[in-house]
Amino acid sequence: MGLINTILGKLFDLLLLPFRSLNPWAGMAFISLLTGLLMLFIYRLTSNQSGIRRVKDKIKAHLLELRLFKDNMGVTMRAQGQILRANLRYLALNLKPLLVMIVPLILILAQLNLWFGSEPLAVGRPAILKVKLKPDVNVLGTEFALESPPEITIETPPLRLEESREVDWRLKPTAAGTFDLTIRAGDKSYLKTVVVDGRRLEKVSSLKVKRSLLDEVLYPGEKTLPGESRIKTIEIVHPAKKLPLLGLRLHWLIAYLGLSIIFGFALKKPFRVEI
Amino acid sequence: MSKEHSPTRILLTVLGLVLAAGLPANAYIGPGAGFAFLSSFLVLLLTFFLAVFSFLSWPFRLLIRLIKGRKTLKGTLVDRVVIIGLDGLEPTLAEKFMAEGKLPHLSLLKKEGTYARLQTTTPAISPVAWSSFMTGSEPSKHNIFDFLSRDPKTYLPSLSSAYIGRPRRVISIGKYAVPLSKPEIRGMRKSVPFWKTLGEAGIFSTVLRVPITFPPEKFSGHLLSGMCAPDLKGSQGTFAFYTTDEVKHKRREGGVVIPVEVRDGRVRTYISGPENSLLKKAEEIKVPLRVEIDKKKGEVRVEVSGQRFGLKVGEFSPWIKITFRPGLGMKVKAIARFLVSQVEPHFEMYLTPLNIDPEKPALPISHPFIYSVYLSKLLGSFITLGEANDTWALNEGALKEAAFLELTYSNHMEWEAMFFNALSKTKKGAVVCVFETTDSIQHMFWRYLDKSHPALRSTSPEMSAQVIEDLYRRMDDLIGRARAKLDPRSALMVMSDHGFKSFRRGVNLNSWLYLNGYLRLKDGKTTSEEWFRDVDWEKTKAYALGLGGLYINQKGREANGIVSAGEETRALKAELISKLNELRDEAAGDVAITEAYDRDQVYSGPYAGNAPDLIIGYNQGFRASWDSVTGKVDSRVFEDNIKAWSGDHCIDPRHVPGVFFFSRKIEAKAPSIMDVAPTVLTLFGLPVPGHMDGRPLVSPGRPAGAPPKDKGKKK
Repeated sequence: MGLINTILGKLFDLLLLPFRSLNPWAGMAFISLLTGLLMLFIYRLTSNQSGIRRVKDKIKAHLLELRLFKDNMGVTMRAQGQILRANLRYLALNLKPLLVMIVPLILILAQLNLWFGSEPLAVGRPAILKVKLKPDVNVLGTEFALESPPEITIETPPLRLEESREVDWRLKPTAAGTFDLTIRAGDKSYLKTVVVDGRRLEKVSSLKVKRSLLDEVLYPGEKTLPGESRIKTIEIVHPAKKLPLLGLRLHWLIAYLGLSIIFGFALKKPFRVEI
Repeated sequence: MSKEHSPTRILLTVLGLVLAAGLPANAYIGPGAGFAFLSSFLVLLLTFFLAVFSFLSWPFRLLIRLIKGRKTLKGTLVDRVVIIGLDGLEPTLAEKFMAEGKLPHLSLLKKEGTYARLQTTTPAISPVAWSSFMTGSEPSKHNIFDFLSRDPKTYLPSLSSAYIGRPRRVISIGKYAVPLSKPEIRGMRKSVPFWKTLGEAGIFSTVLRVPITFPPEKFSGHLLSGMCAPDLKGSQGTFAFYTTDEVKHKRREGGVVIPVEVRDGRVRTYISGPENSLLKKAEEIKVPLRVEIDKKKGEVRVEVSGQRFGLKVGEFSPWIKITFRPGLGMKVKAIARFLVSQVEPHFEMYLTPLNIDPEKPALPISHPFIYSVYLSKLLGSFITLGEANDTWALNEGALKEAAFLELTYSNHMEWEAMFFNALSKTKKGAVVCVFETTDSIQHMFWRYLDKSHPALRSTSPEMSAQVIEDLYRRMDDLIGRARAKLDPRSALMVMSDHGFKSFRRGVNLNSWLYLNGYLRLKDGKTTSEEWFRDVDWEKTKAYALGLGGLYINQKGREANGIVSAGEETRALKAELISKLNELRDEAAGDVAITEAYDRDQVYSGPYAGNAPDLIIGYNQGFRASWDSVTGKVDSRVFEDNIKAWSGDHCIDPRHVPGVFFFSRKIEAKAPSIMDVAPTVLTLFGLPVPGHMDGRPLVSPGRPAGAPPKDKGKKK
């Protein structure tokens, strides 16, 4: 999984490189277009195109039936039932391509989350570093320490929260850049990347997780913590990134959904994909 | 913010779960799923609103109908009338096969109700007869006298049923003439079909493939046009035949031959489409067509209009959509089927005429317009051409007999599907469907019933008389399935517009007129090419055009008329009738014409003036020759008919009555095709309009055999 994440990470770095100084919508539009194309391609390969065409035609036919036989209550009632049945069949026909598409799409979404999910930390604005511990670790009895480069000031000693099995620090960046923090837990030490300010589009990994398939898939931004680590996760709480649109601040997933559907609509005909 | 409460993680996890569950939230995984979800949701939403609207508005619509004084079906003798038209079903054959027990369902219909020979129209030609069927009136009231009529100003033929003209207003932009109005499409059939009268009384009808219903007229019901609806080229069906065989590179009636070459196992050619009416100087729109040949596998791959599909040699493709682009971003859609009949020693491929795509019709072929779209979405693409079965392709050797039969029955199955769909949705009202399968197959295979037919001598037989028997059996089976869907309050009529007889000898009336001095050729000419190219009109008294019409070259009517209207015309007609009634074919040892009818004696309606002056009633075994129909002239009056088209009905109507089966008893002994419309109106309790010449075959009271309304039980 690590190798896949590394390859995908490099690929997204490369793809988004021209857009890092631009409005984030530009990068989002570009990725939506590319992934839209990829998904159309997968959809075309994995779906029963003629079956989908047939069932869509049936739905349209029965919708026309409602209009053509509007004075015939029996026919319209039957048509409604047939529309519902055809709709279910349509969803069933979509199941296979959806299942196939889950895999690449979740990997892509996880990468997009790195780029569009969180804002970097701001210079001069404090942030919390949270270290979550495994159940068998003695929260109060273990020695914890945090080392930071000079651009990151550690404002508080470790705050140990036994109930939530958590140790927190408050940080304050004093300069822009990407830095590594070192967290010592007993005789082991772990690295966590922190991104402070930078360009309009920055890759931000807020969470470092221990090695498990699901976590690795969902949080691909940094190397995972070793399996025997006492720490479950290391998180820096970043402000959530929003994409501005007509006075609204959209979550990236909504923007991605909207754009990919628009591109899909625009491209399905030229690529002759029946959706 | 802790990991457990991260909204992104929650979103992603939920997303993963719902995707795995295949729920509608699949919108989150990009366009494919997004569309699936959105479309599905929109459909549900639309269905919901339509259902609510339909449900809530229904009482109001009912009320409006009542206020308008429209009748309900309360006082009618039946709830539903179903008419199955089997074009050209021949009574002598039906009677023979019934006697032999081969048509059990028709026999039962006869036993329980009525069977009679049905008088047809003068002339006995489908567009004429079906027009009389629907209007209940004789031809001079509906203005259809043949497939073709003539323009007296040019002596050239035109389609009798419809006029399709260019848009009246256009704007000129460079080489384009952009239309600002719709093309003019005008139906030439006059009078009122019975389904329009039914509609005015609030009775719904579904009318499928009845001839002369193009362009479709507005009425309360659904209609799909039949015979005379054009193909995309505006013709009555133009097939294409692609071949590498130079011997076959010759002109074909009803189609075009496109010579091709095979290079590196590939054929690169084109589909010849409609004329580009957007261009000032109209030219044909062409679509590239590529065929890759795999001789070993006996397969080809066809590439056209952005589609690629495989096809086995000898196998018809399904309907393929073909898009023509006249320019300015416009698209005109057609559907067609391909058949590669051989790849070696010569490549040969048949392409059906370019049918108007019912899903995106370039011309109106249904009422309402969306009806053809609906049928196409529900049942798949279907043939829309009026003259659907490609008899010319068989006649001209572009199709073998087995392939023709396969294609014809495939068309028939499409119509059956439409018919049974209409039957299931029209529980009250009229369902009318005409199947031309019977007409086409009898035209093309009649010679197998006639051992002395000249066409049997000219080619080696591929089939036998069994083809005709199978046809009748299949139609009987159709009737059986239709009867099974009817309840006792439904009346069923099975009818044909005319019968059939052998067509052994062609009579070239124009040659006869020429040889007898009534038609003159230009100086130095002894023959004339088609459409009277070499006729000297200023010395010509009469000419023949179409399947049964003879016209006087009348002064003041024809462009170069020389015969005065009135007495001179009357005298000339009498002279011609007298001579034609004695016309004998010495080679056949028989009279060729039973009777030549004077239009003034047989027609009395307002359009009698548009009829041919004489209508030729040919004897059995004879018909207008192929050359005579198209205005060719030479020195031969009679010739053997050696085409596959070996049966016909364009003869004296007395020789070719149709059939009439009815699920009720009638009193009339000799019903006429004009009686059907008044009978339908009477069954629905409506008065017969004055313009109808036919009479009802049932009395306005309860017809014999009709159950009272409250005792109707489904069979």
